[in-house]
Amino acid sequence: MSVRRAIIHQLREEARRLLSERRVDCIIGYETGPRGRVRPAFLYEPAEADRLVWGPECVHNLTTYLHNKKKPRKRGEEPPRIGIVVKPCDSRTLNVLFAERQIERGRVYVIGIACEGVMGRDGQPAAKCRRCTDRVPLVYDLLLGEPPAVEPAPDDWSDLERVAAMAPAERLTFWLREFDRCIRCYACRQVCPGCYCPTCAFERDDGLWVDMGIEIPQKFVFHLGRAFHLAGRCVECDECERVCPMGLPLSLLNRCLVREIEALYGHRAGRAEALTPLLFELGPEGSPI
Amino acid sequence: MRFTTLDRLKAWLDRLAQEVDLVAPCDVDGHVLYRPVSSSEEVLLDYERPELPAKDYLFPATEVLLRIEQRGKDVALEEVLPDRRQVLFGIRPCDAHGLAAIDALFLHQAPPDRYYQHHRERTTLVGMACIRMWEGCFCTSMGGGPTDATYLDVLIRPGPEGFFLQPVTPRGVAVLEGLEVTEPKGEPLPVEEYNPPVPVTPTAKWRAMFEGNIWMRHGERCLSCRICTYVCPTCRCFDVADRVVDIRSGVTRIERIRAWDACTSPNYRRVAGGHNPRPTNWERLRNRFLCKFCYYPEDFGPLGCVGCGRCIVSCPVDIDITEVMRDVAQK
Amino acid sequence: MALANPMRPYLGRLVGVRNLATGIKLFQVELLEPEGKAAFADYQPGQFAFLSAFGAGEAPFGLASTPARGPYLEFAVNAIGHVTNTLHTLDVGDPVGVRGPLGRGFPMEQLRGRNIVIIGGGIGGAPLRPVIQTILDRREDYGHLTILWAARSPDLLIFTEEFDEWRSAWATEFHVTVDRGDERWRDNVGLITQLLEKVAPSPQNAVAITCGPPIMIHFVFLTLKKLGFSPDQMLTTLEARMHCGIGKCGRCNLGEKFICTDGPVFWQYEIAGFLEGFL
Repeated sequence: MSVRRAIIHQLREEARRLLSERRVDCIIGYETGPRGRVRPAFLYEPAEADRLVWGPECVHNLTTYLHNKKKPRKRGEEPPRIGIVVKPCDSRTLNVLFAERQIERGRVYVIGIACEGVMGRDGQPAAKCRRCTDRVPLVYDLLLGEPPAVEPAPDDWSDLERVAAMAPAERLTFWLREFDRCIRCYACRQVCPGCYCPTCAFERDDGLWVDMGIEIPQKFVFHLGRAFHLAGRCVECDECERVCPMGLPLSLLNRCLVREIEALYGHRAGRAEALTPLLFELGPEGSPI
Repeated sequence: MRFTTLDRLKAWLDRLAQEVDLVAPCDVDGHVLYRPVSSSEEVLLDYERPELPAKDYLFPATEVLLRIEQRGKDVALEEVLPDRRQVLFGIRPCDAHGLAAIDALFLHQAPPDRYYQHHRERTTLVGMACIRMWEGCFCTSMGGGPTDATYLDVLIRPGPEGFFLQPVTPRGVAVLEGLEVTEPKGEPLPVEEYNPPVPVTPTAKWRAMFEGNIWMRHGERCLSCRICTYVCPTCRCFDVADRVVDIRSGVTRIERIRAWDACTSPNYRRVAGGHNPRPTNWERLRNRFLCKFCYYPEDFGPLGCVGCGRCIVSCPVDIDITEVMRDVAQK
Repeated sequence: MALANPMRPYLGRLVGVRNLATGIKLFQVELLEPEGKAAFADYQPGQFAFLSAFGAGEAPFGLASTPARGPYLEFAVNAIGHVTNTLHTLDVGDPVGVRGPLGRGFPMEQLRGRNIVIIGGGIGGAPLRPVIQTILDRREDYGHLTILWAARSPDLLIFTEEFDEWRSAWATEFHVTVDRGDERWRDNVGLITQLLEKVAPSPQNAVAITCGPPIMIHFVFLTLKKLGFSPDQMLTTLEARMHCGIGKCGRCNLGEKFICTDGPVFWQYEIAGFLEGFL
């Protein structure tokens, strides 16, 4: 039995056990749809466990769905307990969400999977996997699979070189051209586990920062603003870039800030359960920075 | 059937670009999109289904409805209805079909939408037949097809040595006047590949399935983004708001704009008092599907789906309208 | 030209602004253009209109006035959003825009000869005021009038200065309650459904008309049913954050119905038959 098949087998057994013992109310994992595409799956009954799959197509960061599970299904009940399948990169999101008091550690049962890497749309290894140093989730209650024998490649930031090499004016032109294609569908924000504000700053009725027009200036403000709001919080799962229907290289924006924050504060989001160093309380002594 | 060569077609496009606003499929950084063009060099003639529909040119993603000028206590309003003619060249038959669906509400349901009507009256649709059905396409199940001319002013069908021209409306005849035709060579390319049909279920059954558990099953993974509605050739919801353009020497210049809106977004149905009767992603997705297959046809006639397949291809979590249609048909 | 574009508001000027309750103001609008005056010559109770605060946008409000009581349009506005907060910064003499009248109002002709029970909660009382005024102005056309008025607290009651007129009108009774009283409050304390059960209006030849938050409408209908009112004896008016008011923008759909063009006034039997609920 291949490693992958062994993991799938274990995953299904574990899901069946968790659901039948009522350890969790719902399991969020992956399944294969009728078109053969892998997609997020929500399981409530032990009999559904065989829908679960695992493999290099499991690119989605499922932790974003935990935000939909904070409220009880019926009034007066406890919020549901969730079993969730995470890759090493996804597990970093959990650390951020725990630190930000968004998700209660005790309400999630984390099924971590040792990961050899997932694929991008083009069938090639995803960019995030080429720079992955983990291969084993940082947070889990159960670990499936063995740490793979692949050499962790250190992050050399080579993806940022093409923009770093541009003069400021050229860089502005580059981004305006990219933002021109944006249709302001908010998929990047909706998929982002770090974007959970009930009212997005860029979708306010009063248009305080930006009006609702789907034009370059609004898109420019939205994307740059979102990147700043994720500074020190983005775990580089690249989901924003994956879901973008217009192919905007959004992870470049986030990764620029990731590098800055790591250089300035030695902080890499989600490596530990810690808040971004950019979030602090202004006390009588003023800024702690 | 009339016939023309590549050179003649390009010469005609170059002339059109001088006379009207010409919109055509282009390669925009690797994405096929309908864009305004100034020369035939920019126009793609062999291309897949463009990633976005043509509705943007009749129902713009952002449109100024009124210019408002306020001086002290005095206000002047000006309607913004630019008087320009446009030719949408190379749109796919499904895009024209989508416009026909929007027509049912924006033109034929009183009162007409003044802005859409204005653009529609000044637009000529020159379509290009598809030589195959693309990934996700199911137009043949929705009353259309890769070579369907019904909703176009002109249908062009590519041939091995040129293009076959089929004027459909008087407006189509008129737009072709400047195009030099020649002796036909060969036949229009046949449609290489058809996708399997998808069952279309009568509205009454969709209605009967409102309470079913299939909506949570399909909709629980929905991210509540707006991709499916913005890539849809028939979705037409909009929002209206003012924006202050500038304030100078006692004069405030304001634009009242409308912009695309989406019933999939979380706060779509929230009322002023804060109550949201459609609080979950799956309830909102149910509304979208029922709008397409039940509400829209019951209220305005046509189905709200033309089978272009764009929402299937672009959904990042594999929500598949044909999977839902099959599920509803099987129940 | 102006009339041809239903998205263009008629120009108006504020001729009166007064506080109705905490966070709620009543705006009196004079329409400036002949087209606007003509359009609003004969609007019906229950119809609505969009009020523009230029620079912020427009929002729909139930008309709180009747043409019989004067030429000015009245809108009760609760400051809870961008447009409403901006409206609250305006004063007499400031320009506004008005689009309407829109929607299907209350069937006042059909209600002639019937006993009427009005049940208004909070700002939801605003679209019911023209119903009360119409009945009081044509008193002999209608039977007994029972008004039940409510708010979360005394400072949120609207049209308090009109309570005396309502109370003293012929064949009219008036009851008021608040969810929570204060030290000066001497009247009923409790939910409007409790007051409704206590007053227990007879369903005999009666029609009940209610408006308030969605959850209140839901429970008022249930209480009325207990009192013997049938679905064709209950009316309400629904709300949505509409953007067009003419059935185009999609924002206010309840299933295949549009609140703007099919309503906003609905019989309970209509709502009961809706595919999608308002709650």
